[in-house]
Amino acid sequence: MDCRDIRESISACVDGEASPGEMASVREHLASCERCRVLERQMRAVGAGVRQVRRPVPDRFREEVFARLESEGALPKRKKVFPAAWRWAAVPLAAAAGLGLFLLTSREAVRGPAKPGPATARVGTSAPAPSPQGNGEAISAEDREMLVLLDILEDPVDLDANDDAEGMDLLAPGDPADSPNPPRGGRSGA
Amino acid sequence: MLLFREGSREAFEELFSRHHRAVVRFAWRMTGDPSTAEDAAQEIFLRIARAAPTYLPTAKFTTWMYTVARRTTLNYLRDTKEDGETVPILPEGEGEGGVYPLQLPGPDDRNPEQVVWEAQLTERFRAALGELPEGHRAAFVLNRGDGLSYEEVAQVLGVTVQAVKTRIFRAREMLLSRLSNDLSA
Repeated sequence: MDCRDIRESISACVDGEASPGEMASVREHLASCERCRVLERQMRAVGAGVRQVRRPVPDRFREEVFARLESEGALPKRKKVFPAAWRWAAVPLAAAAGLGLFLLTSREAVRGPAKPGPATARVGTSAPAPSPQGNGEAISAEDREMLVLLDILEDPVDLDANDDAEGMDLLAPGDPADSPNPPRGGRSGA
Repeated sequence: MLLFREGSREAFEELFSRHHRAVVRFAWRMTGDPSTAEDAAQEIFLRIARAAPTYLPTAKFTTWMYTVARRTTLNYLRDTKEDGETVPILPEGEGEGGVYPLQLPGPDDRNPEQVVWEAQLTERFRAALGELPEGHRAAFVLNRGDGLSYEEVAQVLGVTVQAVKTRIFRAREMLLSRLSNDLSA
């Protein structure tokens, strides 16, 4: 093949884009043509030259592009992830806090005004409980002993059968009438 | 790009991070002027952002991006030419049938692959690149500089694969005719 006719195929070979037939022709030609072998190497060198033409991107480029995009309104606003999340979280948090406060206050209200008298203990509490009257009075040693006794006497099987067992208050010795929730199942006290 | 189309700013930021260097480099190789290249590169990203609502992934994103990039730089080159500067823009296909002199070195010349691309030679290369017809330069830069296949270059330029092959060959011949002394000294 004539040198003139094969140059384009040499160029395609250098780029890895020649067909198998072209590649075979080029290989055959280069084996016998020194000038085209030199040309082939020069073609590779010129190709490498393009990659030498480069410049670092200035730091301000990004800011300028985004400033223009924002001024045109072509860019969605940046999402404020944390403030938005907190705003949404505030609703359930406030609801939970309100509910908790309500339960606390209503519980206190149901129990009535503080007055000396019976002490209550939570079922399942092995340690003596402080006085729920909220008047800061310490439980007497006698009462504490009685509370411990109550816990011992409490039948877990019976309690399991009772859905409200977890929240049931047991009266300490005293006047049963003082209790807003009279104990069920005949366990009104020791 | 699809995520950006759906309103994700983060998607555009990621897209920008991945491609801005390639876009600036392409614009620089096509225009040969740092200031013009930066302006063109900014415009390329503006066009990409503006086109997002109507973007359809019919081709690889990079192919589409280079199509936008090439059209944008072409506009800048035309604008520059209208301002009286001498930036060579020959009509598409010009020189296809022409004969470019190629001064081949003698058999004792040094292997051009060993040429060290010093700053001076790179500058001469860049100047020679700027003298190529725009269509030839774009084909050569996209293939050799940005790694697009002939098929992808053909899509970007809207021509056949054979036309790309010819343009790249012509570009090589023209560059060699201008740089043969440098490459074979």
